[in-house]
Parts: sequence; structure tokens; C-alpha cells
Amino acid sequence: MTKVLLKDIRKRFGTAEIIRGIDLEIDEGEFVVFVGPSGCGKSTLLRLISGLEHISDGELQIGGRVVNEVPAAKRGVAMVFQSYALYPHLTVRDNMGFGLKVRKVPAEERARRVADAAATLKLEPLLDRFPRQLSGGQRQRVAIGRAIVGNPDVFLFDEPLSNLDAELRVHMRSEIAALHRRLATTMIYVTHDQIEAMTLADKIVVLRDGKVEQVGSPRDLYDNPGNLFVAQFIGSPKMNILPAAVASRLSPKAETPSGTQSVGVRPEHLTLTAPGKSTLEGVVRLAEYTGAVTLIHVELSGGEICLVVDDGNKAPEVGGAVGLAAKPAVLHFFDKEGRAIA
Amino acid sequence: MADMAPRKTTARPSGAPWLSLKYREMLEAWLFVSPTFIGFLIFFLGPLVAIVYFSTTEWNLLSQQSTFIGLRNFENALLENPDFWHVVRNSVVFALGLVPLNMALALALALALSRPFRGVVFFRTIFFAPVITSAIAWAIVWKFLLQGEGGAVNQMLAWIGIDGPNWLRQPNWAMAAVIVTRVIKMVGLNMILYIAALQSIPRDYEEAATLEGASRRQIFRMITWPLLAPTTLVIMVLTTIGSFKVFDHIYQMTGGGPENGTLVLAFYIYQQGFKFFNVGYASALALIMFVIVMALTLVQVMLRRREME
Repeated sequence: MTKVLLKDIRKRFGTAEIIRGIDLEIDEGEFVVFVGPSGCGKSTLLRLISGLEHISDGELQIGGRVVNEVPAAKRGVAMVFQSYALYPHLTVRDNMGFGLKVRKVPAEERARRVADAAATLKLEPLLDRFPRQLSGGQRQRVAIGRAIVGNPDVFLFDEPLSNLDAELRVHMRSEIAALHRRLATTMIYVTHDQIEAMTLADKIVVLRDGKVEQVGSPRDLYDNPGNLFVAQFIGSPKMNILPAAVASRLSPKAETPSGTQSVGVRPEHLTLTAPGKSTLEGVVRLAEYTGAVTLIHVELSGGEICLVVDDGNKAPEVGGAVGLAAKPAVLHFFDKEGRAIA
Repeated sequence: MADMAPRKTTARPSGAPWLSLKYREMLEAWLFVSPTFIGFLIFFLGPLVAIVYFSTTEWNLLSQQSTFIGLRNFENALLENPDFWHVVRNSVVFALGLVPLNMALALALALALSRPFRGVVFFRTIFFAPVITSAIAWAIVWKFLLQGEGGAVNQMLAWIGIDGPNWLRQPNWAMAAVIVTRVIKMVGLNMILYIAALQSIPRDYEEAATLEGASRRQIFRMITWPLLAPTTLVIMVLTTIGSFKVFDHIYQMTGGGPENGTLVLAFYIYQQGFKFFNVGYASALALIMFVIVMALTLVQVMLRRREME
């Protein structure tokens, strides 16, 4: 179990600064997820930690040791790649034992450690197969097995589930969570999928344009987003952002703090009511039935589209007028810079 | 009642195309492949069949008299004519010298030039340019460079105190000189093939191996080289075939000499056919060369397949 510390980490490619001063503390045994839109620098940050990219500025500590100039192989990290990066000409056994072989670990110990990892991941029947003979999920497990065999201090996952279909992704997500519970090793996981981030993480780091937007537990980020970007990025469907003026009609008992520019409310926190003068009114433009709930798109008088998750049995008719209401506690207020107002 | 009888449904509807869809598609496919197929028949299969026939005749190009003699030309080449085996030996020496040297150099250049850096395109162009240069022009230039005392190569060697030989006139050096000049000319082609293969290997493999502690040498030996195997096989087969077919360099630089030291099979066939006008015998030799190259190719493919299994 190893602590990872990032102090003002920066990465430049030529004149372009991709990582723009990141401070972060990852505790021993913690499962941290870097999440953010494409191009936000999350994979680059992971590669800086792994040693596959050189840090332009700042200090990186792994296990209390500054590793800026330490080669990747000696940082005590193992990485699971998005593409799995399994060597196609080697069997599963040889893929898993590759790192031990190049480090001149005796054959007997190598075989024992590969067997242990294979048992952990239920890979024993596949050991003599080649990667091309495996399904996507099996390849993923082999890639994780290859990382386990090296007994690293820190596991790094670079969007490991993005090549899998939806069903397998859910299954592998639970396997990775179980693996973390079993190994209790520090894990850093990169994804653009906020559901993955919410379900796996002890701590989520939301990144945008090479900077940290907010760090916190999944519940913390969901309940108390620090700004508009985090508010809309975390949670699915994303939070509705409306002009501050509608807050009093949406929730008459709510007190709007001074300086409020916009008010946010999650679609699942809105309820449909009968239209009336004192409520926020709109017209239903679309109703998407998903089975468990219906996603209702309501157009407000100002032209804004407000999404409502309705779990009622009878969805309102498209074109009909509805009222919208929310409890005061679920409203989020933002100033003109987009920062949350406590 | 007769008007109510059902009509035959198998009849072709009026206005339907003359051919059914299946046959129209087949016709289209044949039309698309026909240019290549016709070219293959005229320029490859036709001459091959003709050579098989000519190889069973004694045909003098000057007298235009052709006599069927069965397998006599083959008997003559394989069992009676000592020149033939000398020529085969020369061809094998040429191939054994050229193929490994060409491949090793091509791989080294590809490894150096497969990653982007300032000037990489310039260097690739420099090494590839000889491939598209006229072989005869190339050979003429090298013939001058490799001249005895006045040659540029020997003059440069003299600067560092080495008294260079008369490269193309000494039996021991002529073959080596032709091999090296041929390698320099053709190495760019294999270099490009290797660069393409190296660039198709995902970067992730190297990065994964680096993270696992592999050195650059281990990565090359355990990851890159095995993944290059299919390309290596193609290059080996093509270069071997090319080395057995070498003609232009020999024709221009040594004429098969000195003392028949560079007389290789393709040039020998040319001599028999167009210098001594023994077209029947030359055809038999060409068929033998075809069989040798085919056999070598099959052996290489089988060895590679066994290695992969």
C-alpha cells in the first residue's frame, strides 16, 4: 500500500501546456478515478505517474520517494492499457510472466506467481491460449493478471473497459471493485464514463483542460458540486441549469443567495405538478420511456429545455402543459463565474 | 373457364434483363479481373508454356532450326556440363552474401528511421533513391568508382593508408564488390517494408514492456523481432528471388568475369540464349532456375510456418 503525491505537476508538449499545475494526494490503498471529457489530460496525467511521459515541472512522489527521474520500471507501478497491450505472439502464461522473465525471476517462482494470479482471476483454463483466441472480457482479465503478477505498489488503469460491450463493462466493473477490496492496493483509474467513476471510486478527481476542477467522494461531488462544470459532468442525466429568477417558482420556500446567476436542479429531483400561476410552467416536448423511468423534456417559457426523470406510471402527453417543483434542499446556486454558492 | 387457368410463373417477365442477377454479377466480376487475367496469360503463362516446349528442343536462333530432343538439354546441364554447377555455386554465393547483408542493413536503417525526428524524410529519401535509379546507370557509376588505381573508392582508402585492390578484376573481390553495390542499391526497398511493419506495431506493446522492466534490447528480441516475422519472411523470399535473377549489375560491371567468378545463373542463361543462340538450352536453364527459386521459397515458407507453430 503506497501513497502518491502530486505537487504542481505540469506537462508541456512543445509550447502547449497539457497539464497545468496539478496538486493531488492519493492515500494508501485508495481507489482514485480521474474523470473528465476527451482531451482534458487525464490519460496524460496517468502516463506522467507511470513514467511513460516525462514531467515538465512539479514533483511526483510514490511511497514517499520523489520519482520524477526514476525510470518507469522502477516506480513500482503496473498499468492496464485501454488496448490491453497483450503480446499477440505469446500465450496467456507467457504474457503474464513476461515482466518476471525480463527481470530474471527464476522459472519456478515465475510459474508459481503466474499460477497464483491466474487463480485469483479464474484464468487457469486459458493459460495456454493466445490473445487472439480470447474474448474481450478474457483479454481484459489477462491484462489485469499481467499487472498483478508484478506485485506493484500502485495499479494504473487507462480506460480499461472502453473496448467492452455494455453488459461486460458492468461485469468487469464489479470484478475490478472486488479486486481492489481483495488486494487493497492503491489504484488510479482513468475514464470518461462518469458512471464508472461513481461506482468504483473512493475519490474522484474531475479534470478539465489540464486542471483539477474538484476532488471528492462520489457522493460529495454529486451532492455538492463546486462549479457548473462538475455539476453538469457528474450525474446522469446531467443537471438542469436555469436562470436564477425561476428558483422561487420552482421551490417557493427556497432562499436564493445574493449573487446567484443560475440555479441547478437534477432531473431526478424534479417532480411534475399541475400547472398553476405560482408554479414553474412548461410544455412537454418529448417523453422518452426507458422502462424504469420516463425522461420528459419540458420547454419553459424562456425557451430553456428542462429534463425531468418521472417514475410515475402515466407520463404526461406531449404538447400538454405541466408544472415543475423541487424541494429547497436539492437546489444548487451558482454565481456569474459558475462557482457554487454555499 | 379457360381464361381462369393460372399462368406459368417461371416465364421471364417482360422487360426483365437478358441475364439473371447472378450471371450479371459474375460477368461484371470477370470484366473487372480481365485486364490482369489477360496480361497474365499473355506475358506470364504463355512464355512459361513456350519455355517448357523450347526446353525440349535444340533450337538455334541463327539457323532457325528446331529439333525435338526430349530431356537432353536437362541432362546436358545437370550431368555433363561442369559450367552449370559452377554457375549455380556462384548464384548461391551471391544470394548467401546479399540476402543477410541486405536484410540486416534494411532492418538497422528501418529501426533508425521508423520514428519521427527532424530530417527523417530526407534520410528515408536518400536511402530509397537508389531503388528507383536505373540499374545500368548505377552499375556504370560504381564500375568507375571501383576502378583499380584511379577509382574513387581506392583513392579514399589511400587517404587512410590502405592500398585497395582492383575490385572488379580480381576473382576474390569481384563477387563481394557486386554484392555490396547491389545491396546499396536495393536496401531502400526492404527498409521501407520494415519501416511500414515497425510502424504497424502498436506503441502500447513497447510501453507495456518498458513498464515491466524490459530493456531496449529485450524489447527488440522478445517483442519487436517476433512481430516482424511475417514481414521478414516476405523480404527474405523477395530478396532471395531477386538475387537469383540478378543480371544488370553483372552484365555491366563484370560481364561474368573475372575467370567466370561472377558468372551467375541469369547471366549464364542470357549468354546461352543471346550470345551463343542456344535457345533450347537457355530455356532448360531458365526452367531449372524457376524450380530452384520455387523450392527455396517453399522451404523458407515451411520453416517459417513451423517456427510459428
